[in-house]
Amino acid sequence: MKKIVPIILSLTSLTAFSQDDLLKELSEKEKPEVNYTFQTFKGTRIVNGQSVETKGKHELEFIFSHRFGTLNSGSYNLWGLDNAFVRLGLEYGITDRLGVAIGRTSTDKSFDSYIRYKLFRQSSGAKNFPVTVTTIATTNFKSSPPANENPLITTKDRLSYVAEVLIARKFSSSFSFQLSGIYVHRNMVYQSYENNDDYAVGFSGRYKITRSVALTGEYFYRLNPKNNTPYYNSLGFGIDIETGGHVFQLVFTNSVGMITRSVVAETDGNFGAGDIHFGFNISRVFQLSKKH
Amino acid sequence: MASKKIRLRKIISPASILSTVLVLVGHLVVAQNKYEVSKGSISFTSNAKLELINATSDKVRGIIDPATGQFAFVVKVQSFEGFNSELQRQHFNERYLETEKFYEATFSGKIIEQLDFSKNGVSEVRAKGNLTIHGKKQVRIIKGKITINDNDISIESEFTVPLTDHDISIPQIVSQKIATEIMVTFKASMASPKGK
Repeated sequence: MKKIVPIILSLTSLTAFSQDDLLKELSEKEKPEVNYTFQTFKGTRIVNGQSVETKGKHELEFIFSHRFGTLNSGSYNLWGLDNAFVRLGLEYGITDRLGVAIGRTSTDKSFDSYIRYKLFRQSSGAKNFPVTVTTIATTNFKSSPPANENPLITTKDRLSYVAEVLIARKFSSSFSFQLSGIYVHRNMVYQSYENNDDYAVGFSGRYKITRSVALTGEYFYRLNPKNNTPYYNSLGFGIDIETGGHVFQLVFTNSVGMITRSVVAETDGNFGAGDIHFGFNISRVFQLSKKH
Repeated sequence: MASKKIRLRKIISPASILSTVLVLVGHLVVAQNKYEVSKGSISFTSNAKLELINATSDKVRGIIDPATGQFAFVVKVQSFEGFNSELQRQHFNERYLETEKFYEATFSGKIIEQLDFSKNGVSEVRAKGNLTIHGKKQVRIIKGKITINDNDISIESEFTVPLTDHDISIPQIVSQKIATEIMVTFKASMASPKGK
């Protein structure tokens, strides 16, 4: 009897061992694959600025953005709620990496249209790449003041262009950071205090508190403002709330514009003095045709 | 001193030599006869009141050891494709299955029935083991059909996975769009590389 015990013991250990062994054997045989990072940010906007995200193939995103007046405008103005500026935008994914968009902002009656392309995708596994890089080229048309009131302003004068290179990294499932390089060219400016060409860098971050809620922050630093510039660097904070196909972004910012040109080059609010606009971006995604 | 001698003698007793040999032989036999997945797919369906969601992965790997009836299957969760939109696929990965943290889903254990893999034919079997999804392990008995055809076998199985079993919580706002029990279909062709 005593001699049988070690045999039984060794048989049991064999059984226990080989069950773990099979899983281990599978993981040893696994061929490394490329894992692309997804959802560096919840939407195509972080606060006011663009993110590296693109829409999926055949996805149409409707973005409805709102900025109220400033919080320091007092109770007579209901702390800014009496004034409202709106941007309506549509963005469509031609492929998972290429998107086109149009929008119209009430702030200065601007039309904007841009093309967005994701050049590199952050990945791990068989192919390691540390960041996602997206480029955006925008054309804006400012329809205010109307042509019949000011016939000297030509169509060309109303145009401005923005080129952006966005570099972002999702450091963990909760923290993402983006660095943006931005160039703005406006055909017509007030030469005494504005530049035709503006350069800026942007710093944006996101921290997820729960899987549906995230905090965001964004700052654009202008590299070449004129000494007598009346404008400020844009600063914004927000809360992202995601529910199914909607993303709600509640924001507090000193910018009233909702397109990159006005945010970077024409922010006239002083955050420190309380020129803070409450606002929101609501994004709704529609899948226009089956992906596969 | 005397007791030590006795212990030593016990260790090199015929019984322990025999058991060592058994372990070694057992491993050799195991190593020669395992079936491996050559082609497999896992599909799931969420049939909720307001939305039907389907997704499939063919990144299935697996081993069955016919000598012991033990098995292990693995799927990379990020490899599921389908869904009704890209956003939905991202939510599946980011919000519900958290695939950056819980990379794989696994099922490993032992087939309850004693199956003779040298006989061709179709058998209904029960597989008992640990089903790990979203990092949460559950002991499950899953029914399946094994078809043995010489050196090739094929497996088919349908089972359900309750989301609460694996700590996958669905927000109230989408509760009518995602089913609480997910139907899973599993198919695999397996071959024994060295023959039997």
